Amino acid sequence: MSTYKVHIPEVKKTWYLPAIFTGLGFTFKKMIQNLANKKQMPTLNYPEEKYEYSPRFKGNHVLTVKKDGKIRCTACMLCATACPAQCITIHASEDKDPSVEKYPISYEIDILRCVFCGFCEEACPVDAIRMGPEWQTPGHNGDNFVYDIKKLAYRHNLNEGKGVQSVVDDSDRHKII
Amino acid sequence: MLKCTINGKPVEVKPGTSIIQAFKQLGEEIAHYCWHPALSVAGVCRLCMVEIEGNPRLQIACNTTVAEGMVVTNQSEKVKDAVKWGMDFHLINHPLDCPICDQAGECGLQDQYMKFGKYDPEMAEKKVNKRKVVDLGERVVLDSERCILCSRCVRFTEEITKTNELGIFNRGDRSEIGTFEGKPLDNNYSVNTVDICPVGALTSKDFRFKQRVWFLKDKASICNGCSTGCNVEVDYNKEGIWRLRPRYNEQVNGYWMCDVGRDVYKNVNRVHTDVEGERGEKQVKKSISRLVQAVHRLNGQSEYMQTGFAVSKVRETLSQYKKGDVALVVTGQQTSEEYEALLSYFTKSFAADDVFHWQNNPEAWGEFDGLLLRGDRNPNTKGLIKAFEKHKVKSTAWTQDLGKYKLVLLVAPENLAAYPNIREKADLLKNNKTVVVLTTSQIPEFANLPDETWQIPMKSFMEKAGTFVNFSGLEQKFAPVTTIVDAAVSADEFVAALNGQALEQVQKIYTNPTERVENQFIFQRGSL
Repeated sequence: MSTYKVHIPEVKKTWYLPAIFTGLGFTFKKMIQNLANKKQMPTLNYPEEKYEYSPRFKGNHVLTVKKDGKIRCTACMLCATACPAQCITIHASEDKDPSVEKYPISYEIDILRCVFCGFCEEACPVDAIRMGPEWQTPGHNGDNFVYDIKKLAYRHNLNEGKGVQSVVDDSDRHKII
Repeated sequence: MLKCTINGKPVEVKPGTSIIQAFKQLGEEIAHYCWHPALSVAGVCRLCMVEIEGNPRLQIACNTTVAEGMVVTNQSEKVKDAVKWGMDFHLINHPLDCPICDQAGECGLQDQYMKFGKYDPEMAEKKVNKRKVVDLGERVVLDSERCILCSRCVRFTEEITKTNELGIFNRGDRSEIGTFEGKPLDNNYSVNTVDICPVGALTSKDFRFKQRVWFLKDKASICNGCSTGCNVEVDYNKEGIWRLRPRYNEQVNGYWMCDVGRDVYKNVNRVHTDVEGERGEKQVKKSISRLVQAVHRLNGQSEYMQTGFAVSKVRETLSQYKKGDVALVVTGQQTSEEYEALLSYFTKSFAADDVFHWQNNPEAWGEFDGLLLRGDRNPNTKGLIKAFEKHKVKSTAWTQDLGKYKLVLLVAPENLAAYPNIREKADLLKNNKTVVVLTTSQIPEFANLPDETWQIPMKSFMEKAGTFVNFSGLEQKFAPVTTIVDAAVSADEFVAALNGQALEQVQKIYTNPTERVENQFIFQRGSL
């Protein structure tokens, strides 16, 4: 056992009230400023007002679909391979259409394990997974946080309950911009 | 012996050796697709180019024999350039569907493209479209676009199985592999063509799209499908076993294994479901499940319990009986170590005459298909007979009703496909008071015997170490691959527990520390 000598500086015995009044004065000044000029207030009334991030924000994943509504994913599992959090589980199956050949029958992302690094998006050879703008996803229990293929491909809760699907077709994808 | 120099290293080879064999002998890397050590030389892929000193042009290593004093290299710029252009020609019509292709990760084309590839292709023409997803036979699917026409599979059916199902049809860049009308690829060695295919043109229906190969680890084992005892490589991950591949052994199986043997892993997985039918409309054919807990069944009521508790209860029951009350039934499916333990325990405590040998199809045991598969579908019948001789047991084939015994200790077979007559054998146990069954799989016939039944979960051959003695008397040792059922015991552990040791102390649960890592690939990133 070793002992440590802790250096405790001697506390100066001074009046603390002046400091408190300085602080209160600053708060009061800001309150008057904010009441006078509401637009410049940096804070938000969160649940009612929401901050708008840039459209490039990397939030919850979206599985893109082709124009005919079929999922783009070919179940190559490169996203699952690249995923450092190992949160992606895919089960592949054979498609009836020989030009499609392989498709995922289940695609699950454990969103609580996900670290939103975006490696899956980067690894995908067919632009089938993208990081979407959605970021507020509270839930009541743990079950809601394993996103299945339906939820990932079709966000029923967005667009005032009408749902959002993100369509990426080969012709759009190979267009030279 | 001829002396030659390969990549600056001197090597001595037998006369008649080709340069590529000398490369392999030395362990030097050389690019090749069409050459296979067990097949004849075709010389079609033009990738094994080497520069021979004194020879103005490059030669292919597979079709050039070594001469005295030859100086060969495949490290020169000239060779690398030739291989690069050879690769470019192979890739003219090869589709870029590695994400869908099952071969990705173990593909010769991928490997050599990364090494020698000309990353900017010169070809501006459109690729030739060929047939995709062609059903070649019961177990193999062909994708003609991916085929590089190395003709390994054609030579395999011509030279090894001598069935000649496959051929190359059409000419030029439209040529493709195919079968003749009404003659599918359905010989018993068809999946070997999938193994030797250097690209993803031939894929196995059984393994297709189940797993990506980089999620799998492999371990050596012995096939328990028949008495040949082929050496196999088991591909598994923490979800179970996914496929078997042959492992080279000159004495036993060479480079091949049969399709019947490829199915033995289905008895090892916790639940295996066989599906049947056309694409997208598959239906469950049959399903095999492992026994994962000990079961005691009395008066129609089943009770599940810990294996250790069940074994101690069985021990109490056995201790009440004397010589002549107990019978032992064994099959040729267990390891020699287990026979040793079972027979030494049984002959000590009970009568040696009460040991019965459950033979599945003794009349077919002499059969042989000429290549690998033998009629005796037990891996260790020789080992069992040896153990019988050692313990002076008069082996009786099990054909009579065992009603005169108060307790029957039955070690059930692992490979259920080889035992079609389980129903009849279960009828022979109808009059017994107590039956103790050691079994890997759930066998409903034994679970529903009239009186008291104990079912003890047993380790499959992939979960224990042991020895199989094959048809020729060759002893082959094998190590455990992985653990599928934690509660399972091997027969020797069971016997040790019957002898009074605590089961927790004798039960060896095999765990591989690296198995905990699900995705090894991410830790090797950068080594590609």
